[in-house]
Amino acid sequence: MSTLGNYSLQLALLFACTGAGLGIYAGIAKRDDWSQVAERCVGAVFALNTIALLALFYALATNEFSNAYVAAHSARSMDLGYRLSALWGGQAGSLLLWVWMLSLYAAAAMYANRHHHRELAPWVAAILLGNTIFFLALLTFSTNPFELVPAAHRVSDGNGLNPLLQHPVMMIHPLMLYIGFVGFAVPFAYAFAALITGRLDTTWFRITRRWALFAWAVLGVGLMLGGRWAYEVLGWGGYWAWDPVENAALMPWLVATAYLHSVMIQEKRDMLKIWNLVLIGLTYSLCLFGTFLTRSGIVQSVHAFTNAGWFTPLFLSYTLLVAIGFFAALIARSRQLRSTNRLESVVSREASFLINNWLFMALLIMVFWFTMYPVFTELVIGEQRTWGPVWYNLFGSVIGLGLLFMTGFGPLIAWRRATATSLRRQFQIPAGVGIATAVVLGIWLRREPMAIAYWGMCAFVTATITQEYTRAVAARMRRGESPLTAFMALLRKNQRRYGGYIVHLGIVFAMLGIAGAAFNQESLANVRPGDSTELGEYRFEYLTADPIPQQHYGGARARVALYRDEEPLAVMAPEKRMYWLEQQPSSIPAIYSTLREDVYLILTAIEPDGSATLKVYRNPLVNWLWIGIAVFTVGSIVVMWPPPARLREA
Amino acid sequence: MPKGVQIAIGAIVCAALLGWYGFSNLEGQATYQYFTTLDEFLASEPENRIGESLRIKGYVADGSIDRRVDERRVLFAIQNDPPHASGTANATFAVHYLSLETPDLFQDGAEVVVEGHIEGRPAGVVLIADNVLAKCPSKFQAMAEEQQGETEGTSL
Repeated sequence: MSTLGNYSLQLALLFACTGAGLGIYAGIAKRDDWSQVAERCVGAVFALNTIALLALFYALATNEFSNAYVAAHSARSMDLGYRLSALWGGQAGSLLLWVWMLSLYAAAAMYANRHHHRELAPWVAAILLGNTIFFLALLTFSTNPFELVPAAHRVSDGNGLNPLLQHPVMMIHPLMLYIGFVGFAVPFAYAFAALITGRLDTTWFRITRRWALFAWAVLGVGLMLGGRWAYEVLGWGGYWAWDPVENAALMPWLVATAYLHSVMIQEKRDMLKIWNLVLIGLTYSLCLFGTFLTRSGIVQSVHAFTNAGWFTPLFLSYTLLVAIGFFAALIARSRQLRSTNRLESVVSREASFLINNWLFMALLIMVFWFTMYPVFTELVIGEQRTWGPVWYNLFGSVIGLGLLFMTGFGPLIAWRRATATSLRRQFQIPAGVGIATAVVLGIWLRREPMAIAYWGMCAFVTATITQEYTRAVAARMRRGESPLTAFMALLRKNQRRYGGYIVHLGIVFAMLGIAGAAFNQESLANVRPGDSTELGEYRFEYLTADPIPQQHYGGARARVALYRDEEPLAVMAPEKRMYWLEQQPSSIPAIYSTLREDVYLILTAIEPDGSATLKVYRNPLVNWLWIGIAVFTVGSIVVMWPPPARLREA
Repeated sequence: MPKGVQIAIGAIVCAALLGWYGFSNLEGQATYQYFTTLDEFLASEPENRIGESLRIKGYVADGSIDRRVDERRVLFAIQNDPPHASGTANATFAVHYLSLETPDLFQDGAEVVVEGHIEGRPAGVVLIADNVLAKCPSKFQAMAEEQQGETEGTSL
């Protein structure tokens, strides 16, 4: 199987080079016949990559330990699901997944546009294949997933996957990040092709609007699922640590969010043409840069992959090449991209979208600066210095509050120039609701002003969304529709606007939950069986600890009775596991979760004297973050759902 | 006033406010050094560094972990190189960790970064730690690298 995989990759590389060359020729000579050949090459590359991917899946499923990748990342004792997910547990396998996905996107994009926008097609094929060439070359010559273990060193069992990754969420979280990262290749390629051909109208982003939305939504959900995994597995009571690798995935998402908002201005007002191209170029470059950051290990991180010699310089050069190529083309075309329209008023939809963009960019610059700071200081003063998470939270919370405000303010303000009357009509009630919420919470809680500001802002945004829906539904009901029909009609007829509000509502819920972290409490206690420790109105009674039934891990499971105001709630069972093969311990927290708060319990240690050391956290409102993910997902689907045929644009 | 100027002024005011906000929250040092290795620290005459706050990277010396449940602390020693790596005995350095909350990966031979301050004790200089971070034991990666090395050149 490894041989088959290897040959497929080499053949794919050959087709990719041919196709890219033909695409460029077809583009220059304006030959549609050759363009079609180049597009066939995209199809062939996809087919060959699929064979390679299946070959590696097969090797993992059948415990083919003669394959070095399988031996290093899988083991007989692992369930089939985890054995298969080991495909993205290591460097070579995840690069194979990346290139497969890129070729899938490329083939799908070429197929979807086989009858339209023919002048862009050869260039899009060439650009997407060009990106594929890099990854295929890397896989064939440097990081080969089909490398064999020499006969003398054959093993009967593999090393196993890092036990921390043996979790259901980890089977899909990396996958979603890749789907998101790689998905931006399509809008990027169309933007690039538009720059090369000079077709600089709205075509490129109209074609790729859904592709960008899809990549963005999947990346967003993937990011939040990563947080969920950290919360359930890593056992430190939180879900986001501003770790360089988390930041690496967050950065392109921030720019993509700015992009999705800013293209609306180009669509309606024909402004910001250059800016939108900058944003999409930056998004894809940051996807590559993020992948580079994750895998090169140049910044200290818990996620570090092992990094083999050539990888760092190769990947960095590739990322730079992509970014420089795109921005050089942009500069060359910049004269043709001048906008005719100008901003008429600072109090307008355009201006508020612009401010939203700047806030996203500010957030990006902040995350980039803090993440890369150790690298900069290493270069300048020769030692790595780091900013703690406190700093991210300090600045991030202020910028985030501004963004949350814009979430409510932007969609309701008039285009061009808002009048005092329209402002009053739109914001009187929501502003009242927001301020009232903040004041009531302030009087009640008397601390954490930032969290209270967030909750007030959440109330404001929720009120704007509710107002929009009520007004629109009421208008339709006056025409005799029932409330439900009216509601569904809104989603169907103006799915971008009303779906967008649902996405915003998801963000509001997520922010509601995140702001709750300001009121987190924790304590550490050492208790003997039968003794208790308390946190607020909760009491934890340590009952017993039992050995975990033997499997590929062992260890202890504690039983702790949870009471609130002496009312029994649950028996919690945190575990302290030991994965035998990997010789790696791991604490699995027990979580008692309600809409109001989570009680999060970790068995830090069973001490030699038979007592247990317990770490308990009380995390208010965390569940709203996960609810936010669900709402965000629903909203994204509404926005992306194909409109009825009669409304579809040609 | 042109719109561009209005917006630019707004942006400058915001940036200045953010800067002031960050500055006003500044307590002591804003950034910290990721860590110094134990050898670097030992070479800098630890006796003269009493009272200093710092982060030291090392490996937990085999058999040195002493969990003192009654005192709510964990005593252990760190050394510069992983145990058994070279065969030669390493100089060790005592750490008093003022909590029982040790990370999962904290065990004999684990790579750790200890954060705290230096104190002089009758028995010598120790690090009073208020935070211990443990990294993944390098067994995995070392094995992977070994295999990588061994298999180099064997693929097609």
